[in-house]
Amino acid sequence: MLEIKNLHATIAGKEILKGLNLTINEGEVHAIMGPNGAGKSTLSNVLTGHPAYTVTAGEVIFRGKNLLEMSPEERAREGVFLSFQYPVEIPGVSMVNFMRTAVNEKRQHEGKPALSATEFLKLMREKKSLVGMDNKLTKRSVNEGFSGGEKKRNEIFQMAMLEPCLSILDETDSGLDIDALRIVAEGVNALKTPHTASIVITHYQRLLDYIVPDFVHVLADGKIVRTGGKELALELEEKGYAFLNE
Amino acid sequence: MLNNSIQYTIPAGEKRELLLINEPSINYHIVQEEGSSLLVHVIALPNPKEQDYAQHTTITVEHNAANCRTEIYGLALLHGNQQHHLTTSVLHNVGEGYSSQLIKFVLDDASKASFKGELKILPDAQHVEAYQTNRNILLSRQADMVTEPQLEIYADDVKASHGATTGQLDESALFYMQQRCIGRESARKLLLCAFFDDVMRTLPDEQMQENLLDKINEYIG
Repeated sequence: MLEIKNLHATIAGKEILKGLNLTINEGEVHAIMGPNGAGKSTLSNVLTGHPAYTVTAGEVIFRGKNLLEMSPEERAREGVFLSFQYPVEIPGVSMVNFMRTAVNEKRQHEGKPALSATEFLKLMREKKSLVGMDNKLTKRSVNEGFSGGEKKRNEIFQMAMLEPCLSILDETDSGLDIDALRIVAEGVNALKTPHTASIVITHYQRLLDYIVPDFVHVLADGKIVRTGGKELALELEEKGYAFLNE
Repeated sequence: MLNNSIQYTIPAGEKRELLLINEPSINYHIVQEEGSSLLVHVIALPNPKEQDYAQHTTITVEHNAANCRTEIYGLALLHGNQQHHLTTSVLHNVGEGYSSQLIKFVLDDASKASFKGELKILPDAQHVEAYQTNRNILLSRQADMVTEPQLEIYADDVKASHGATTGQLDESALFYMQQRCIGRESARKLLLCAFFDDVMRTLPDEQMQENLLDKINEYIG
């Protein structure tokens, strides 16, 4: 599904990714762990086309297409979804209006007709109950005044609405208490199909108790330096990243 | 410049609304008597093709008795070389009054606008509440906005505040929306309509709100 080859990327002239390679197949969950400043968030920003980052070398092929040539919205419509570490508050833009625009622009890209108001509201209801999203929240402006946990749940709700092939969860566990974490993880697991894949970026092993990865990668200094199964996360939790300096 | 001038007094206890949409340059001087209220909207939403659009609107309001209420809302969306200049002057001559002003402009291309807001609370005008807010978004480097708030407060027992900001569209919100499949153009529309939302909601007529919103969406395009 996703093939990242020798990816180099900079922000403000500083090189953050220094030759990253990663292949992800349908049905797989990949965890990316690593110390602060290793480039974890840069990877998610580069994959989604954040304008502040420049790719200086390498390629990214997503379902046979060159991802790096696409605008951020094209990547999203092709099925790349990022659950933001810090979801943005958009005062004055209602959740309903935001989601309806998002869903219909994706449908247009797929050559499908726009959903009618009734169909759209039905879809909202279905997905809200799937991820346990409070009715009150979808009546407000996007993320405005939401708690940390509510924002993360809203990310998973949007993921459910857009049904992406590849979901990147960027530190979805940060700022969540254990109950919120469990609910978010359950939502992610409920959305998993044999044809979707996820990249879970996290500092801590605890999220991986709930979203069980097939592979764990350690990202350090802009490269993947170690790859293992889910037991690698436990080892990192116990021993830290000291081995990086050995 | 020769402007039209209109003067009137709102009698005690009465309400007036003043709605100016793409109105030619004009001066209003309105005196309020006891317990009267005034709701003003100054809206500049010219067709982007109307290149020579340049309007100056001046609204002067005087509270000459207690318990008067004044709300002034301004909205402008300008393109090309269009100009819109709004001057307000709210004079609290007598205490126990309320005034609020909310002015929101969006300037694209090489358009120019100004907001000069005088707010005066005279020494005997105690227990007045007076607020003034001006927010502007520039969509182009060539656009030019001048804001001049002028507060003169001589009474000591009042609540008054003012704030003015001029900035750009929130890039982090644009990227967030793009990541949710929303094209940059639609994202800009959603953000600008949201920016105008609190002013739009103050229009008493819902049909008019919708018509103006349609125009805003068409002109942002």
